[in-house]
Amino acid sequence: MIEWLTATNHKKIGILYIVSTLAFFVVASLLAGLIRAQLARPENTLLDAHQYNQVFTLHGTAMIFLVIAPFGIGLANYLVPLQIGAPDMAFPRLNAIGVWLFILGGLTVFAGLAAYGGAAAAGWTAYAPLSELTEGTGAGQDLWFVGLLLVSVSTILTSINLLVTIFLFRAPGMTMWRIPIFTWEIAATAVLVLMAFPPLAAVFAMVLIDRHLGGHFFDPAYGGNPILYQHLFWFFGHPEVYVMILPYFGIVTEIVATFSRKPVFGYVGMVLSAFAIAGLSLGVWAHHMFTTGAVSNPFFAAVSFLIAIPTGVKFVNWIGTMWKGSIELSTAMLFCIGFMLNFLIGGITGVMIASPPIDYAAHDTYFIVQHFHYTIGGGSMFALFGALFFWFPKIFGVRLDERMGKWTFALLFAGFNATFLPMAFMGLEGMARRVYTYPPIGHLALLNGIASFGALVMGVGTALFFINVVAAVRRRVPVPPNPWDGYSLEWLTASPPPEFNFHELPPIRSRIPAWDR
Amino acid sequence: MKTFVGLFAASALFGIALAVAYWFVAHEEATGAALLGCMAAALVFTAGYAVVAERSADLDGDDPNEPLERVAGEELGIFTTRSAWPILVASCSLLTLAGTLWSPALAVAAGIALILCCWRLGAESARV
Repeated sequence: MIEWLTATNHKKIGILYIVSTLAFFVVASLLAGLIRAQLARPENTLLDAHQYNQVFTLHGTAMIFLVIAPFGIGLANYLVPLQIGAPDMAFPRLNAIGVWLFILGGLTVFAGLAAYGGAAAAGWTAYAPLSELTEGTGAGQDLWFVGLLLVSVSTILTSINLLVTIFLFRAPGMTMWRIPIFTWEIAATAVLVLMAFPPLAAVFAMVLIDRHLGGHFFDPAYGGNPILYQHLFWFFGHPEVYVMILPYFGIVTEIVATFSRKPVFGYVGMVLSAFAIAGLSLGVWAHHMFTTGAVSNPFFAAVSFLIAIPTGVKFVNWIGTMWKGSIELSTAMLFCIGFMLNFLIGGITGVMIASPPIDYAAHDTYFIVQHFHYTIGGGSMFALFGALFFWFPKIFGVRLDERMGKWTFALLFAGFNATFLPMAFMGLEGMARRVYTYPPIGHLALLNGIASFGALVMGVGTALFFINVVAAVRRRVPVPPNPWDGYSLEWLTASPPPEFNFHELPPIRSRIPAWDR
Repeated sequence: MKTFVGLFAASALFGIALAVAYWFVAHEEATGAALLGCMAAALVFTAGYAVVAERSADLDGDDPNEPLERVAGEELGIFTTRSAWPILVASCSLLTLAGTLWSPALAVAAGIALILCCWRLGAESARV
């Protein structure tokens, strides 16, 4: 226990990140189950309005701040030094501070459940002045802000560490244009974090000043401006979507190339598109604010449309990598194919709502919920499972069962689409998001029933995954260093790797050092 | 290292272009222009630092044909494998923040503990 509490080695910290994000994932999934149970039929009374507000707030918060984004960062902590041939991260102690700030911050958010008045209930966006009304949102909301302030500082510290490591700690011969795409995507993510997270920390501090120290940043009665909160929040919030997706683009690229037995097609295009996405994402925040009438809708619509171009480049390159490859449909590869199909739907609906006239109609409806879950749930979450199946042997030295893995994929893919595709139609029928119940009109009862059944199927798939993990750890069948015939440097060391990663560094003369041998 | 400089220089130019474009399109909306301006300034600062740092950088990783034998035994520094101070720094940070909201006495006590932990952490880093 003490060994883990005081660990500074990047691999142990990476494992701490991965295990804690999976624990938060289980809690957030149970909360999602509660949401779907409440909405399974019209005028349900399982939860009251305030309980429902707490449940969907904690679900969204956990999935965004405590699962999807930090899993990518945590996996990077584990993999980046291995992929570039470094013995550890540049600043091991700073790395340890980052992981503990993250874990303590996450627990602080959930500690709100024990607070008088319950947990935070103002949604994952915590819009002011709603989140400043202390009679409606008590200490639980404060704990939410405190917890996420720590998480945001943690993310900034880890991003600095990752950037320094990538730029300065590469092994001899590992030039920037030879590092794996996953590491490149992490570099782009880290730059994005450094641009986007400071405004988040600032706006959370401003709300806490308003709530406790008599400030009035967002109170119009005293000259404050609620739109300012939205600006600062979404200046973080939209890049955050890409913080949640860029690492997963990297994961998909690595897995697709490995299981197509071909080097990445369009390597330079992959790198440039990552930075193009990162750059453009910093100029689109106010497409979340079209309906305020307080921003330049044409500007933000135009920049939002542009993001589709570099994202399309990535799709072309993945297909190009698979084209005429010797494709092996392993579980990890299936999750990547699922990622592409789901993310395509999320991306196309994203282009639709980047158009202000459509956004005015779809704003705050279930259409938006569908779009968002297709990008982050159907996209990132599928890549997350792909990463777990792919790198589990490297990290833990044992392999997950492929047959159970394929069942997990099938259940998650079917369940996910059954849950979220009906939401597009609910949105078109005008069902508002964040309502705790709804009347039995139109097809809402049928659509919600299908969605809730789909969530149940996803729950079974997720449970099967954890059974697989427990079974693999109990079986303890050792794996060779390179069980998938991967091409990048981490596959040339033992599974799991020694303390400082490599007993002896192999020569690096190309982008595929493991295939050069 | 040149890639690093180019990356941030290109990002800085992009940031400036975006801020200027936004100013022309929506100059009456000051918040957005200010945010983009700050973003561009941060990128310019980083790019400027990168240009200065690049002059003195001589990284083994930048040479595509660097022989491993040449760097064998090179001093990379010592990577510590354990330290008790990071978790204490994180815990004190949480308590200081919570104390600021609910208990000044806790804030002061935790703040002092935080400073001491950071000091010990720095001292330990200087040794190992």
